[in-house]
Formats: sequence, structure tokens, C-alpha cells
Amino acid sequence: MRFIPSTAGQKQEMLREIGVESFDSLLDSIPQQVRPGRQLDIPDALTEYDLEQHLYAMSTQNCDFTQMKSLLGAGAYRHHVPAPVSTLLSREEYWTSYTPYQPEMSQGTLQSMFEAQTHFARLSAMEVAISSMYDGATAAAEAALMAIRITHKERIVLAGAVHPLYEQTIRTYLAPHGIDVTEVPHAEGLVDQQQLEAMTQEDVAAVVVQSPNFFGGIENLDAIASAVHGAEALLIVAVAEGLSLGLLKGPGESDADLVACDTNSFGLNLNFGGPHNAFLASKKKYMRQLAGRIVGETQDIDGKRVFVMTLRAREQDIRREKATSNICSNHGLNVTAANIYLSLLGTEGLYELAQLNTRAAHYLERALVATGRFKRVYDYPFFNEFMLKAKDGAPAVTKRLLENDLVPPLNLGAFLGDDAYLDTLLFATTELLNRSDMDRAAAALSR
Amino acid sequence: MRLIFEKGTTGRQGFSLPSDRFTDIPVADCVPEYARIDSPKPLTEVSEVDVIRHFTQLSKFNRGLDDGLYALGSCTMKYNPRVNEVVAALPAFIHAHPLAPEETVQGSLRVMYSLNTLLCEIVGVDQFTMAPAAGAHGELTGILIIRQYFNDRGESRSKMLVPDSAHGTNPATAAMAGYRVVEVKSNERGTVDVAQLTELMDDDTAGLMLTNPNTVGLYDDEVCAIEQIVHGKGGLLYYDGANLNASLGIVRPGDTGFDVVHLNLHKTFSTPHGGGGPGAGPIGVKKRLVPYLPSPVVTYDGEKYHLADAGEKSIGRVRAFWSNFPVLLKSYAWILSMGPDGLYDASATSIINANYVLSKLKGAYRPSYDRFCGHECVLTARDYKEYGVKTLDIAKRLMDYGIHPPTIYFPHFAPYAEETMMVEPPESESKEVLDAFIEIMLKISEEARTSPELLTEAPHTTPIRRTDDVTAARRPILTYDDELALKDQLNYRAEDIDY
Repeated sequence: MRFIPSTAGQKQEMLREIGVESFDSLLDSIPQQVRPGRQLDIPDALTEYDLEQHLYAMSTQNCDFTQMKSLLGAGAYRHHVPAPVSTLLSREEYWTSYTPYQPEMSQGTLQSMFEAQTHFARLSAMEVAISSMYDGATAAAEAALMAIRITHKERIVLAGAVHPLYEQTIRTYLAPHGIDVTEVPHAEGLVDQQQLEAMTQEDVAAVVVQSPNFFGGIENLDAIASAVHGAEALLIVAVAEGLSLGLLKGPGESDADLVACDTNSFGLNLNFGGPHNAFLASKKKYMRQLAGRIVGETQDIDGKRVFVMTLRAREQDIRREKATSNICSNHGLNVTAANIYLSLLGTEGLYELAQLNTRAAHYLERALVATGRFKRVYDYPFFNEFMLKAKDGAPAVTKRLLENDLVPPLNLGAFLGDDAYLDTLLFATTELLNRSDMDRAAAALSR
Repeated sequence: MRLIFEKGTTGRQGFSLPSDRFTDIPVADCVPEYARIDSPKPLTEVSEVDVIRHFTQLSKFNRGLDDGLYALGSCTMKYNPRVNEVVAALPAFIHAHPLAPEETVQGSLRVMYSLNTLLCEIVGVDQFTMAPAAGAHGELTGILIIRQYFNDRGESRSKMLVPDSAHGTNPATAAMAGYRVVEVKSNERGTVDVAQLTELMDDDTAGLMLTNPNTVGLYDDEVCAIEQIVHGKGGLLYYDGANLNASLGIVRPGDTGFDVVHLNLHKTFSTPHGGGGPGAGPIGVKKRLVPYLPSPVVTYDGEKYHLADAGEKSIGRVRAFWSNFPVLLKSYAWILSMGPDGLYDASATSIINANYVLSKLKGAYRPSYDRFCGHECVLTARDYKEYGVKTLDIAKRLMDYGIHPPTIYFPHFAPYAEETMMVEPPESESKEVLDAFIEIMLKISEEARTSPELLTEAPHTTPIRRTDDVTAARRPILTYDDELALKDQLNYRAEDIDY
């Protein structure tokens, strides 16, 4: 076996040195009656060539997405991944290394995490950012648990159109702790401010709001924050489309207490939904309640500036059941992806790209409405995602777009299982769609 | 080394934007003033070349698995086969959207379904969920499944048993899943104290979280008795898969009575650690627990694959989307590369490796337990305290010889574990590599006696030396902006900044 270098002869030699006759002598602690007594029933080993053929054949059972443009988002957005991201990440020093517990041998990962923390803090206008949670949904769930620890209150409010898969994740994380979850419905696609004020009472630990929200709508975080803080609750802002922070004010500017932001749009492919990555940002006064790994700057004995994992007394390997979270392995490689991506985009690039995304989305929205086959559902501001109701029905739209090599938008009625959204579609655009792609989509749907 | 924020110059660009930016549509028509910024947030101003050089240089201050032995105990730092990376980069897989119509992603669903079949056979359970993003995330999923099982039966058990030798994630997970953690002591042989377990296991206890072989590298030879005690009181047995690399084809956790089996694909199944992740932590269960698995589940009707909702008894969702797909794909590829003989050989070789290292080093580094071990062994530096040398110093000295230190100060439960180092030499390390490691370890033991300052001042040859962790925690500088705000108080010299 080419991944196992020692030969049978060498293994025999090692067994002799150990002082046993056969390998089985080393297994004396395993009771015979629980051993299978047979070989595993799995296929015989494939050669590298046969394996490649097998998996290539499986991949062809997917559509050839390289030939398709996409109108689908809803928490996963197809953006361009610049070549330096994938080629730099393919350096073995990044992808084969372990968690940077030994700083003398891990400054590459540690400095990259520190740089990413800086990027994320600046984008969200927050003071501190944990660079790696699994995804936006789990980061939002950790934020909710954190708010409960900080406030010692036992109710979480989900306001407006929070992504249903985020909402379900938050509920799963809260369920064992007897936390009440209250929903404040949206009005015309945005948080219903009056209801929010009415339902955010003194017993609320935190209000979770997503912006841009599940329907793409941009929330008025200033107004929401004053309502939330008026009830002495914390404001948690979830962001599923990280790129929006290139153009939208950082939630910190609206005095958000915690921000859970998915960063899959920063240098990662879709990969059928994972691994994403997310940052979890907070005000500095809450940093000792944060979940996950954080890197700090210090010096070594020679006086050099160096980076280490710090505030470790929150983590599971030290605090065990008293830890702020059980998180250990995270999505660290994707932090470096985000760091490389944001470094390439830079100050102007990210701003331009975010503007391009929202302008393109508005172009498509207008083009589709102009066909006469679509109706606006809400009159709300949106970033790069929007809802329209199809007069021809959602299935017809899906079919025609697939015929035209376009990945169709999300069929909200089917996804939410709610007839109120029958034939309503959630369209997303990114910089990958040019004007002629969108004209082509509109033409295909205008018949 | 200088930060990326300290490089470049105003006006530099590193990204190509389309020329048509839809400037016919004003941004003010899209985003209301209260929500938008009118000048960009300050990030970096560097070119693609600057970025390439920065991150290439930075990578050289990292140690990867391909640089040499990385014998971290309980981490299973085995070779990451290149073919796995090749197949995981197939365009039809990487560009698949999780919400794309089912008929467009049949290949991705088939990978998930096929991996489930293989993993079920390998560990002896009935169904897996591929959702968990990491080992600890899998633990949480597994314990929530146990919780839901009892809820469904109308039982509310409040305690979870966790051995003192367990990884920190076990008690942290049980607490996160709402359980009161009760610690079970290890006996003098390093395994679960069955008498104490019998005492602790009661009608209010949901079960036991067990790692087998455990974190001391020892198979629990009383696993059958443990199974009867836990099940006898109606509890469930949870298997932590951190150390599964000692068991492939040798013993299946499902056959030893475990109800919930956790895997770390980034350990046993060869996928890379990525400097901390992403890995994947699938959870397999026996038939009676299948209804509680999280959504979604992949099903096959004989013609097509589907992503199905797990039903009303499910614990719900544990993340937004379905899985860490490329990690699954790489594990699937590895299993197919190995076949049944290869899997057995992997575990057998890792066990031989660990026992070989133990037999060669037990004279110099008195082990916590002098027994045959599984795929890892626990040595100690107890005998060097009199020279003022600690395990930490030995670990740092190893770096001078170009070796990544083993896991240190774990396990740390008294009185059996003191000044520990846990060495795990997986199957991908050859006898020559182990012999070189053994020789260096013996040399260091000699140095500890004759010139201990070589150790206490180590490392000497790494890009940076020992770090001031106390100041890092006391005065947290967590962003470049924190550093800028404290600039006057920091005394880094310019020439010191690059290493």
C-alpha cells in the first residue's frame, strides 16, 4: 500500500524489538468475542487511475456547473475565487499543518488569523472577532448562547426574515437549555419595528436580526438597535452574504453587540454547502465570553513581535465542562482563504465589487419585472438578492432557466413549505453574471 | 514579519473587476443612506504579486505534515494523499450549490450516500449523518440525539458520565447539550474504574462518553462489562472516534455495544487538518436512534438520490447546509484506495509503530502505564524534574531537531499522568523515520542530564523563540488597530519585526 511505507519485513523486525511473536499479541486487551472474525465487507482497493475514473464518472452525474451561470443564493453565493487563493492554499504548510498550539512552528497560521481578525473587525466595525466558526448559522447560535451567559436572561427573539436554516440551527443549539425562542414577524420583508418593540421585553437576552435578511432585504439596524437596547437586550446581527459588508455600514456602527457573519463569499467555492466559515465579532467587553480560538500579539524572548493563541481560559481543553463552547477544530484554512481574498480585493476592490453586486441585482430585477411575467412582492431595499412572484409559476421558470444553462433561483413556496410563497422566487446575482447573461435570462422568461 | 496591512502603497490593486459595473444604476437607488457607507472601509492596498510573496513567506513559518514527523497524540497526523485533493477539486463538485435542484446534483448526493454505506460497515452501525462540521460538532450532534431519544421516551435524565481521561471536548459537549457532567475516575491500569462506574450509573444518567482506545492509548479491556452496566440502567453508550485509527478492521465500535459512533474524518480517514480545520465529524447510530438524526438525510429510491427531511423526531438542524462535502469526498476516496486489507494494515501498522516507539523509549521516558498500547503511547518526563527540565522543554528542544513535538500535558489527570507526552506515529511513518525520532529523543534525554539549559532555552533554531503568553492574555492585542492604539507602549524594534 503506497501510503504505508514500512515493509512487511520491517514490521516483523519492529515486532521482534517490541518482544512479541505476532501482531495479535499486541491486541490482548480486546475481548475476542467482540472482534468481527471476518474482513470488512467493502470493495477491494482501487488503483489511483481507477479511483480518478470512478469519481470523475460520479461528478458527471452533476450538471456541468462550469458551463452554467447561477441565479441561486439563499445563504451560499457563487463568486469568483481568484487563482492566488487556491494556489496559495495548496502550499502544504497551510493545509497539512495542525492547530497552531506550538507558536514557534506556526507563525504562518497565527499571523494569518490575526490579519483576518483585523479584516473582520474592520468590516463589521466591531472591536474583536473570532475568525473561525463553522458557518453563519452556528456562529449565530453560539452568539445566542453567549448572550444568555452575558445577560443571565432566558429568551431569544428572532426578528424579521432570518434564514430558516439559521433559525433551525439556533433552535437546535438552544433546545437543551430551556431557552424560549420568540419570533417577531416581518412586515413587507423587513423587521416589523412596532412588533419588535412590543415583543422585546425585559426578559429578552438578545434579538437576532439578519441583514441583508433571508429575502435579501436591508434592515435599518440603527432603529432596531435602539429598540433592542431600550429593553436592555443585546443585538446579534447575522450576515449570510459577507460581501455586503463591502458596501453596508458595519453593524458595530449601529451599536450591535455581536455579529455572526458567514465568509463563504470570501475566496471559497460553493462545495455543495460546506465547509463555509464564519466570524463571530463582539464588543471588547464581551471578549472573555467568546467561543472559539483567538490570536493575540505579543513578543518572544528576543523581543520580536509574534502571534499566539490567547484568552485560552475560555476553551474546552482547559476549562472542560465550564468552557464557553465545545468548539475545537474549526474552519481555519478558510480563514486564510478569506484573508488572502480580502487582501487581494483591498480597500477599493471590495467596495467596488459590493457596489457591482447590488447594481447588477437591481438591473436583473428591473429586467425581469419589465418582461411583465414577474411581480414585485415587497417594496424594500435589497443588496444582491430579491424576491419576485412568477406569473407563469415557479416550476416553469425553473425549467426554462435550466434549459438555458442557468441555475434557477430558490423556489420559496417549496423551500418554506408555505403556500403564501407559492410561485415566489428568490433570485441572487453576483459579479459572475454580466449584462448579456441577465438579458438572456429575462428573454428566456419573457415568453 | 510585517503584516499585510503594513505592505503595499496607496492605489495598488490585486483583483480584476469587470469593466461593465452597471454604473447606469446609481448605488443610491439600491441601498438607503442609513445603511451604506460612502467611502470604502480601510483594508489593504497591495498587488497580486505582493499577496503571493506575503503568503508564501508566511507559509514558511509554518510546519506542515510533509515537512516530517508530526507525532501529535490523538490527532492522527497521517499522510494526506494527493489524489484526494485532485478528485475533491473536480469542477462539477466544487461549483454545486446546496439548494440546486436535486436532479442537477445527483453525483454529489451519490458520494454522500455511498460514503454512508462504507462507514456503516467499517464501524458497525446502521446510519450516519454527514452534517457535523468537526469532531466537537459531531459530539454535540451525537449527545443531542441521545437527549432526544430520552425525550421521546418521556424520560428526562440529567447526567452524563465522562471519564477523567476524556478529551476536553467531551465534558464541554455534554454541558452544551444540557447535561450535568459527572466524572468517572480511571483505575491504576489507565482504564475506566468499573466499580465506580457501577456506582455512578443510575436512572438519572443518560449514558457514558467513551474513547476507545482511550486518550492514554489503551483499549479498555472491560468494554463488555461497561456496556452491560450502562445499558443495564437504560443508558446509551457514546463512542468518541478520536482514536479509531487503532481499530479499522480489528474491532468495530458498533459490535462492542456503542449506540452512537463519532468519527473524525480528518484523523482516521486521511483528510488534512488545514491548520485547525475544516475536518468533518459524522455521527453513526444504531437503528433505534435513526429517527433522531439531524436533517437532512440522503435517501435513494433505486433511481434517484434525494435530500430528505429527517422527520418530526429529528433533533433538527445543526448547521445551515448539508456537510463539509469535499472532506467527505476525500475520505470516500481514501477508503476506496485502501480497500479492506489496506484499512486493516493502516491500523495494524499504527499499533506496531506506537508499541515500537514505546518499547524503545520507555527506558528514558518512563511511561504512565507499562502495557502494550494502541496506536499511541504516553511517555513522561517525570525523571528529569531533578534537572529542572519539564516536558515543555523537551517539546521545544525537539523543534531544534526539526520535529513537531508530540501532544504534551495531556492527559493530565492525577495521579497517573504527570509531565506527559502523547506520541502517535501513524501508519504513514516508516521505520526509518521512527528510528530517527527515537535517536533524537534519546539524545535529548542525555542533554537533559548533562546540559539542561539547552532544553530550557529551546528552541534556538525556529523563526521565533518562546513567547510571552502572559502579556498576550493580560493586554490583549487582537487586531492591528489594537496595536496601532498601543504603539507608544510597545517596543518592537523595526529590525525585529521581520523574521
